[in-house]
Amino acid sequence: MSDSPAPPPAAPRCEYTWAFLLLRLFLGLRTLLEGLEKYESNGRYSFANYYENMKRMAQGITGASFLPLWATRYFADSLGYLLLALGALLLLGVKSRLTLIIIGLLYVGLSFGLMAVQENEGVAWLAIHVILIVGALLLVRYDRFALWRDRSA
Amino acid sequence: MPTPPLPGFTRRDFLATGAKLGAALIAAPYLARSAPAGGGADSLNLALIGCGEQGRVLLNAAFKIPDIRFRAVCDIWPYNRRYGERLLKKYGHEPVPFEDYREMLSATPDLDAVIVATPDFMHAEHTIAALKAGKHVYCEKLMSNTVDGARSMVRAAREAGRLLQIGHQRRSNPRYIFARDKIVRGDKLLGRVTNATAQWDRAVTEDLGFPAGQGVAEAVLNRYGYANMHEFRNWRWFRRYSGGVISDLGAHQIDVFNWMLGSNPVSVIAGGGRDYYTNHEWYDNVFAIYEYPTEDQVVRTSYQVLTTTSAGGGYYEYFMGDQGALKMSENPKYTKLYREPRAPEWDPWVDKGLVMRPGSGEGAPLPVRPWEKPRPRIPGLSKPASVVDVRETAELSAWDMPVVLDKAIHQPHLENFFDAIRGKAALHSPGEVALATAATVLRVNEAVAARKMLTFAPEDFTV
Repeated sequence: MSDSPAPPPAAPRCEYTWAFLLLRLFLGLRTLLEGLEKYESNGRYSFANYYENMKRMAQGITGASFLPLWATRYFADSLGYLLLALGALLLLGVKSRLTLIIIGLLYVGLSFGLMAVQENEGVAWLAIHVILIVGALLLVRYDRFALWRDRSA
Repeated sequence: MPTPPLPGFTRRDFLATGAKLGAALIAAPYLARSAPAGGGADSLNLALIGCGEQGRVLLNAAFKIPDIRFRAVCDIWPYNRRYGERLLKKYGHEPVPFEDYREMLSATPDLDAVIVATPDFMHAEHTIAALKAGKHVYCEKLMSNTVDGARSMVRAAREAGRLLQIGHQRRSNPRYIFARDKIVRGDKLLGRVTNATAQWDRAVTEDLGFPAGQGVAEAVLNRYGYANMHEFRNWRWFRRYSGGVISDLGAHQIDVFNWMLGSNPVSVIAGGGRDYYTNHEWYDNVFAIYEYPTEDQVVRTSYQVLTTTSAGGGYYEYFMGDQGALKMSENPKYTKLYREPRAPEWDPWVDKGLVMRPGSGEGAPLPVRPWEKPRPRIPGLSKPASVVDVRETAELSAWDMPVVLDKAIHQPHLENFFDAIRGKAALHSPGEVALATAATVLRVNEAVAARKMLTFAPEDFTV
């Protein structure tokens, strides 16, 4: 047993804080813009375009896989709104841990659809996003500059 | 309860009507085929001299043209003559077969025009005889195997006051006309044309034979100017009948040089040889470089014809300017337009209908999968070029031409000839123009033999 006093708890290191902030901003922007492009067609953005694009996506996935149309339509119709909302929340730093988990689950869901149609290139791209989210979750305790921080952060 | 029969239409009536309808349906194609061709007020009476490979190509293109009637066919080979006669009868014509063209011209005086598709060395003789008999003539290219022969054809047409069209059919192809009049000249999408190149690369082919027992007696062949059956069938490879591959394949494309550039060359240098087909007389590969004086500058053009390989992209004519390039071919799959990155955007030309963004093939956007939406196109944002060397310039963008030819490639040229006879059009390839092409083409063989640059004088291209 040592007589020397225990070292004080390590203070949050500056580089981790910045590392998480960079990941948060990147993933937030990526998610937000990915949601936004769902509303685009021929350079114009509208809800009509959104439902047309999502209908095409759902029918395309169902047509090339075993997934039923009701499932792909339900997922597709909610996808754009979720991406927009989650992207904005992550950018602002609102409950980042929970937001990252939901975004991660969303990307896993998207990957599942692309796996079902054997679109390996798309799956690989999504895998990179999932890895970034995993990294962000490992660093989430260093979340600063956030609007509404997680309780343990 | 049985259904009462329709008033006035018994089962017997039904069966009888059905049988008549069925018979009519079965007989319809035969009735249509046996209907006499032509017959209108503008109907033209035609004869074909030469029922070989090219003669058949022309017949098949002509069958789709209304108001023409083939009255005679002529070939010294009975096998070919019978083929031509049967083919014409199948399409409702009633041609009288002849071995000798002189007999044909005297026995069928009501001919309006004669189509000549014989070996090149006979073009002048057949054409001049037909013109002297008062017929208009469509003669296959190359106009003649000698420039003097070509000149004599032009003189004969002038003296007879009859039309002479030579079969450089690209000049009537709407795609070529559009490219020349709109792209190269009219709106000058290529900018200043500085160079051109063309090629026809064809794989090895076996010499032509003939069915056993179907040969022509040597005495008959000799009477018509042929040494033997082998040379008769493979005349394109022998000097006394033809100008060789530069004439056989090159004539079409070198004619396009003259036509597109609106000029005749001032010099040619060439190389070639007979290194593969040792049983032939003519070269099996030829390379030539011409110099063309144009309004903008001297345009240098290169041409190659190879008969031992189809590698290198087939056959095309490629015109290159400082703002774009045009790759033309009778085969649409080889045709493409290219914009230099330094040229103004071509979007206004798209709106004007001059060019199209490619829907498929080179330059087309990557195919979109069923679940993807098309990517937005950002004007002015070009794809970055993958420059691997400091001397390499940025990649050209590929575009398409909006004009297609939905007919056999020889049909528009024949239509132009028939329209000219009726006074509705001017000839696209009259004898005078084709004489210049013949002079341009045949000088290549002289340059190969001389192994030095040869020059042209303006009088080389005229009568």
